[in-house]
Amino acid sequence: MRDLYRGLRAILVKDIAVELRARQVLPTMVVLGMLIVFILRMVSEPGSAGVGAPVMGAAALWIAFLFSGLLAQERSFAAEQQNGCIDGLLLAPLDVGTIYLAKLLANVIVLTIFEVIVVPIVMMSFDLHVAGRWRWLVVVLLLGNVGISSIGTLFSAAVQLTRTRGSLLSIVVLVILMPMMIPASFALLVLFGAMPDHVAGSSSFAFVGSLRAAVGYMLAFDAVFVVACWLLFGVVVEE
Amino acid sequence: MRRLLFTLAFVLLIVSTWIGLTEGQIVPVARNILYVHVPNSVCALLCFVVLLVASIGYLTTGRQTWDQAAAASAEVGFVFATILNATGMLFSRAEWNVWWTPSPRLVTSAILWFLYAVYLILRISLPGSRHRKARLCAVFGILAFLDVPLVFVSARFIPDIHRPSFRLDSAWQTAALMLGMAGTVLLAGALIWLRTSLLRSSLRLEEELLR
Repeated sequence: MRDLYRGLRAILVKDIAVELRARQVLPTMVVLGMLIVFILRMVSEPGSAGVGAPVMGAAALWIAFLFSGLLAQERSFAAEQQNGCIDGLLLAPLDVGTIYLAKLLANVIVLTIFEVIVVPIVMMSFDLHVAGRWRWLVVVLLLGNVGISSIGTLFSAAVQLTRTRGSLLSIVVLVILMPMMIPASFALLVLFGAMPDHVAGSSSFAFVGSLRAAVGYMLAFDAVFVVACWLLFGVVVEE
Repeated sequence: MRRLLFTLAFVLLIVSTWIGLTEGQIVPVARNILYVHVPNSVCALLCFVVLLVASIGYLTTGRQTWDQAAAASAEVGFVFATILNATGMLFSRAEWNVWWTPSPRLVTSAILWFLYAVYLILRISLPGSRHRKARLCAVFGILAFLDVPLVFVSARFIPDIHRPSFRLDSAWQTAALMLGMAGTVLLAGALIWLRTSLLRSSLRLEEELLR
């Protein structure tokens, strides 16, 4: 347990220090996220016929997270590829699972910083309100963050170590994330008031129509995929 | 043996079609697509189970046969998933007057199709040694299988239009569906078997040429 903690901290501190000094990924992520929000904002003028601002806002948030998250995850192993750093990392007296957990944590932290910057921008530009349910919003965004990062980190290792083209990473990660995106978008729609609570809880939404159920589902999804990716990471990096 | 399997599958499918066209016809006529749609959806899911078993088999034993079986079941499953979605869209157009709409089972079948499609793309576009490629595909196969039950549950967050709006009311109709089911499952098994042995032959040929 102590070894796990020390290994985790060493890799995490290294990754964060590299990012703070080189500033390779966070500025790109933020600008990409803002561009996505800007484009979606341009096509959703309030007052015009079509979907309302809460729907577009929820879409903007998840699309920005997914694609900016992919940038972060791609970098996290591309950096190790230079000068054969990954060999050194794999030779370190650590369980390979620890490397995965450290990289996952680093990606979650980077994506969280990104969310802190982009979420207010989205909420201001789409004029969104959560009616005092800030805590729920934070929980939903963090759970989405962990889900996106867990799969992205595993497959970025796979894709980078085989020097595959990066576009492969995006389809692999997005297709596995699809089930989580359904309750994730549902939760944001409820929070932003696009789906009134009495509709959300009605019988047409079968047995899991509430915000609480959506959060529970996301928690289960994260747990399943963090554990599965942690177990399978050794298989992916093995030479 | 394989030829026998194919023959049996085709006989069953022809008998099922015959009954469906005569005694077991469902009114209105568009609903008869059920005889193709339901067996195909079952087979698309069954192929995923084969994919999972083969992927786990490869990761634990490292034998090429498992990898070839995984590739074969994904290819066959992709075909079934395509037919499942195509017939589903035809039925949806006839019954509800839309080609596609987000509804739990429609979303689930679409995601199933996407999972197969990405698996096949991954198979053809990964560089590197054969073992590494096979290992990564097996990892994706396992994670993709974990997705299937999760999709079933998460799809419940969408309102449902896909309710069985009719029942099979004669023994002939049940017979046609059951025969179609048996025939399609046998066909899927035979196709996976055929593809596996074809992949094995092509690998052997490659090794001969390299020697």
